[in-house]
Amino acid sequence: MMLAAFAHPVFDSQRNFRELLQAMARPAAPRAMPVVAPAPAPILPATMAALLTLCDADTTLWLQQPNDEVATHLRFHTGVRLTQSAMEADFALITEPATMPSLTLFAHGELRYPDRSATLIVQVDGFTDNAGTRFSGPGIRDVEQLMIEGLPATFWQQRTAMHAQLPLGVDLIFIAGDRMVALPRTTRVLED
Amino acid sequence: MTSDYNFAFLDENTKRMLRRALLKAVAIPGYQVPFGSREMPLPYGWGTGGIQLTAALLGPDDVLKVIDQGADDTTNAVNIRRFFARVTGVATTERTSEASVIQTRHRIPETPLREDQILVFQVPEPEPLRTLEPREAETRTLHALADYGLMHVKLYEDIAQYGHIATSYDYPVLVDGRFLTSPSPIPKFDNPKLDRSPALMLFGAGREKRLYAIPPYTHVESLAFDDHPFEIQRWEQQCQLCGSGDSYLDEVVTDDRGSRLFVCSDTDYCGQRRAEPAA
Repeated sequence: MMLAAFAHPVFDSQRNFRELLQAMARPAAPRAMPVVAPAPAPILPATMAALLTLCDADTTLWLQQPNDEVATHLRFHTGVRLTQSAMEADFALITEPATMPSLTLFAHGELRYPDRSATLIVQVDGFTDNAGTRFSGPGIRDVEQLMIEGLPATFWQQRTAMHAQLPLGVDLIFIAGDRMVALPRTTRVLED
Repeated sequence: MTSDYNFAFLDENTKRMLRRALLKAVAIPGYQVPFGSREMPLPYGWGTGGIQLTAALLGPDDVLKVIDQGADDTTNAVNIRRFFARVTGVATTERTSEASVIQTRHRIPETPLREDQILVFQVPEPEPLRTLEPREAETRTLHALADYGLMHVKLYEDIAQYGHIATSYDYPVLVDGRFLTSPSPIPKFDNPKLDRSPALMLFGAGREKRLYAIPPYTHVESLAFDDHPFEIQRWEQQCQLCGSGDSYLDEVVTDDRGSRLFVCSDTDYCGQRRAEPAA
């Protein structure tokens, strides 16, 4: 039997969007997803809430671990077009970050249109405040420090290499449980 | 709220399109993101860009303030506030400190904004280089290359001609050291409030179909030269209603004999100061 989506699509997606917007505007600071939605494995309810809020027939989505139930669920509730090509995806869903493909395989935008770039939604193991990587940049008053658990060892090298391409790049939304953290392309990773 | 409309007037597909564009705008500070601007029940030039952004943002718990040149009680502000009261049923206010979303035409409130507030600007011309280079393809290339020499030449010509930079509103800024951005036609008096603001600032241009953002705590630099640093307007007068010496003043002609009155442009700020017991 197919799972339901938001109980109140108009208001639930509005509340989620406002938190997503604040998350993107204040990088590396975890926030709660206000309204989550039922989701087939391996998608978390908070991830599904983000997809229901942002995806529709105008967008393409790339799945790291596609399966029939997920595809049917997403097509029915959002009308999103699923793509096999990571480079063509507006959104990409990473459900197993340890084996995620390189960031360079996703669209980084063009110099005239840097907005034509992918947004990656990455399900991770958890967030630990005041530990791990230190960040600065737009949206961060001084410095934020956050440990994002479950990322592959090479991730931060890739992210630093990408940062040299500004204003090109991909924007990341990490989700763990019901919490989310955004890392737009402009956020600088500080070396210790 | 009139139930003949979807909440906040726009349909959900349009809101999602706006919301996706807004997220990219925040991720690329100062860059103008193209969006599918819709026809609104208001002509272009009356804030259709700001209205569409506000419609994509608003939820039932929001408190909306709308200002036009600092005033809550002018035609544009009253109409937009009434529009959203009708199509969303949200609470409205004239108090800056009570609002969660503030839509503004050409001013930033004098009362300092907070982290939980969002400021939405109505923008007539989002492209700061447009008066210098009319071709969109060319300005896009200039932004791609971060080639802003044209604007520096324009400011230099001001100095050569007038002895100072004569641009007094829509004064160009560089956001996060990368994109040359129009702050919308706010007086340059307000430019310092853009720099490292605690509140998120969003800009919508309906006719030009562009939106952009300045995230909180982002470095916003008003262009200038080492020997001609950026300066804001100053007045010899104080507000003749509240006595403020540090707010943006409007000069009002009061009769045919040249009498003038200087008053705060921010009506809420001025009203609050007058309501306070004299200290």
